[in-house]
Amino acid sequence: MEQTTVLNILVILESILLLVISFILFSKTRNLTKLKKYEEEIIKMKAKNEAKMGDFLPILVHELRSPLSVIKGAADLLMKEVNGLSADQIHTLLNQIKSSSNSLLDMVGSILDVSKMESGKFEVNKSFNNMEVVLKEVCSYFEPLAKVRGLTIECQIDKTIMNFSFDAERIKQVVGNLISNAIKFSPEGGNIIVSSKKVGSDCQISVCDTGVGIKDSEKPLLFQKFYQASNQDGIKKGTGLGLYISRGIVEAHGGKIWVENNVPKGSKFIFTIPMN
Amino acid sequence: MPKKILFVEDDEGFYNIFSVPLKMKGYDVLRVSDGSSAVDKVIVEKPDLVLLDIVLPGTSGLDVLKELREREETKSVFVVMLTNFGNDENISKAMEYGANDYLMKYNIVPSELPDKIASFLGEDPNFNIKVTEL
Repeated sequence: MEQTTVLNILVILESILLLVISFILFSKTRNLTKLKKYEEEIIKMKAKNEAKMGDFLPILVHELRSPLSVIKGAADLLMKEVNGLSADQIHTLLNQIKSSSNSLLDMVGSILDVSKMESGKFEVNKSFNNMEVVLKEVCSYFEPLAKVRGLTIECQIDKTIMNFSFDAERIKQVVGNLISNAIKFSPEGGNIIVSSKKVGSDCQISVCDTGVGIKDSEKPLLFQKFYQASNQDGIKKGTGLGLYISRGIVEAHGGKIWVENNVPKGSKFIFTIPMN
Repeated sequence: MPKKILFVEDDEGFYNIFSVPLKMKGYDVLRVSDGSSAVDKVIVEKPDLVLLDIVLPGTSGLDVLKELREREETKSVFVVMLTNFGNDENISKAMEYGANDYLMKYNIVPSELPDKIASFLGEDPNFNIKVTEL
């Protein structure tokens, strides 16, 4: 009787042991399947990124070629037609050479920024600055361009924001990039509002437009490297680096950047920077 | 009466370098900087020739061209695509939609553009579609 009980106990223990071994083996296999899945995802993501790099090259060529063509064309006119050109026309062409050269320099700067961000060497140079001055300066810089496109820019400043430590040049770059995108994606007659406000211990800046808006499916991709939002006709413009660099700058300040729908239409890009 | 050219171009730089020599030769150059208002401008201004970029805010140059060809009042306007995007897809679409010519901005010397325009305007209305130096 005792022997039978011992045997029964052994059989039960064996079954339990088998169950435990099966469970361990099952979970290991599941983990392996999971790992395999992750590996496949990573391979897919890598392939996607490589494809994006490939897609990016013709765009980069186009973006570099445009200001270069303008510089070359303006120089050609100044050399061949200088006697027939009015003082105003000469002034316009020289200005064009200057602004196209600046575009090229900006582009080269963007490529360098991306390379620093990729290698973890990107840094911001903070000092005590006034956000009101920074925002007003960027708004006035873009006003003439907005006017040409039939758009208006409004600057709504929270005057209670005191001077705090941030990299003024880099923040100008972020706000400038957001305004430039708003201009690019807004049809004539639109309005762009740049505003600042205090949210807890953060300074929150937003750039709203009344443009075509951004599809929900595109929102999570917007701040990725080389991602280009398309306008309502699916046309893509720019290098796809502006928002990626903007995110890098904001994050280097310890802040966040995101996009929301503007009411009643358009997009609202928001970023925060800690003030302490 | 000077011949009227409508330049549909959002890039200030390209507008400046191409409009200056045309104005110097006596052309009346008008500009629209987005695709959405281009067709209306053609209807109102009745230009002799349209220089049409492809990448534009609002409506793309290819869609503007399509609409121009579909509408009775604009279907016969002379349209030259002037772009820096010379991929096969864009060229074949432009041809399919009825562009009269397809020029690459970086291949055009601005001081030579007026002669090119003059040759376009002096051509037979059934001017053959051609692609220039791609």
